[in-house]
Amino acid sequence: MIKLQDIRDTARDMLAKGEARAVIGYRRGSRGMLAEPAFLTRPEEADELVWDPTCFHNLSLYLVHDRKHLAHARKTAGAPVAVIAKGCDARSIVVLLQEHYFQREDVYIIGVSCEGTGVVDERKLAGHLNGAQAISAAFDGDDFVFTTAEGEKRLPAREVMADRCLECCSPFPKEHNLAFGEDKTGRQLEAPFAALDRFEAQGAGERWDNWARHFDRCIRCFACRSVCPMCYCDECVVDSITFPVTTATTAEEKASRIRWIERSAARSENITYLMTRAMHLAGRCTDCGECDRACPVNVPIRLLNNKMEKEAREQFGFEPGASIGGPSLVASFLDNDPGNFIR
Amino acid sequence: MSEQQDYEPRVVAFLCKWCSSAGSDLAGVSRIQYPANATPITVPCTGAISPMYILSAFNKGADGVLVSGCHIGDCHYLEGNYLARRKMYLIMKLLEFIGVEQNRFRMSWVSAAEGAKFAQVITDFVGDLQQLGPQDKLKRAENK
Ligand code: SF4
Ligand code: SF4
Ligand code: SF4
Repeated sequence: MIKLQDIRDTARDMLAKGEARAVIGYRRGSRGMLAEPAFLTRPEEADELVWDPTCFHNLSLYLVHDRKHLAHARKTAGAPVAVIAKGCDARSIVVLLQEHYFQREDVYIIGVSCEGTGVVDERKLAGHLNGAQAISAAFDGDDFVFTTAEGEKRLPAREVMADRCLECCSPFPKEHNLAFGEDKTGRQLEAPFAALDRFEAQGAGERWDNWARHFDRCIRCFACRSVCPMCYCDECVVDSITFPVTTATTAEEKASRIRWIERSAARSENITYLMTRAMHLAGRCTDCGECDRACPVNVPIRLLNNKMEKEAREQFGFEPGASIGGPSLVASFLDNDPGNFIR
Repeated sequence: MSEQQDYEPRVVAFLCKWCSSAGSDLAGVSRIQYPANATPITVPCTGAISPMYILSAFNKGADGVLVSGCHIGDCHYLEGNYLARRKMYLIMKLLEFIGVEQNRFRMSWVSAAEGAKFAQVITDFVGDLQQLGPQDKLKRAENK
């Protein structure tokens, strides 16, 4: 069981000794029970930190932001940034290191194990609270305990946990400088890819009917892209910033530019966006679940990413975020990669 | 429906310049008869094909997309076709996953000496696409 005090003490210590430029963690948010990302730079702020089942954010996103900020301000890093990372978050950091986004010494990973549980899925929880609002959430063994206006509500974690946490077999952050909680690597609450397998069991026609509805709903808010630590491109292929349209841009110039995708939220464009994104994340997505959670219209983005992860694992023996020195999925190959689909 | 009868599948064919593109030339100079439904786009190597090309071709109205390159071991750049094999496998699976008919995407190895094979690949592909009818799942509305 993780003791919050240990996390707070570590943060306070590191900041007091100047071992970290900042500590990125979680604190109580302003919306109900939800935690929110916290950026601490002073030791006395350490007591703001929390650790509970609503700490779902993948904080490695802010390591990327920090990098971009430094580059923009032409500053060098100096002391590392310490970051609290769950199993999946730590794997995201490994992918970023693999891609040389920053160096290992630039980040101090305070690993937190999800042990026997994981984070809560708000949509699942809503079904259990009968309209009541939870104002706090806590881990307690295999249960989550929620406080609502009507009192305390104890629920088996399994019933309200995010699918990805149920399917996760490595809730322990293997790559870390310091880790709290028990290493439960290999645990299995539900089979890997269980949700994906349920979806894939349908026929092609049904799958299309489902996806057509989902793709129609997408409003191209790009929340999925903004929240993803792997979507760090300065220029995204779906909206060009290199060639901004100004009043001086002629019609001819506009017409001659390559536009892979239109910005309009039409089904065909949404498909191209979401499929391209899934391809760009193949072998890089560590199933932190943030894109899926952030989507305001519940597009099941996780299924697309999971499909790539499953193919990568089964066909190419590839695990995203497994090792810093490892190859990338699409920039490597094996002699015996499947080829019998080729005529 | 007459529209259905008039349907001629539009194939976008990404051909490696070192092999399949030359193979298609050979099919031509050898006067092998095959359907004229494919729009060839020559690329330096199949390894240079981004999955985005495939999606974009469908988005702009292709009924089928073909990727054709050098046999394994024959890549001019040594490993481009190995990389393509992986990437194309993934995009193929993703298309299948969202419910796009399997026969709309195809990959083949056709060397510069295989003019007859090139003609056969196109003939088979066009035949399969004829069965499927027009592709409108991924097509941009203004191209419909
Ligand atoms: S694609 Fe989604 S689940 Fe994967 S790393 Fe990005 S935010 Fe996390
Ligand atoms: S969708 Fe692709 S191009 Fe766009 S930010 Fe993500 S990885 Fe980069
Ligand atoms: S999938 Fe969801 S989060 Fe992503 S752009 Fe569409 S509406 Fe926004």
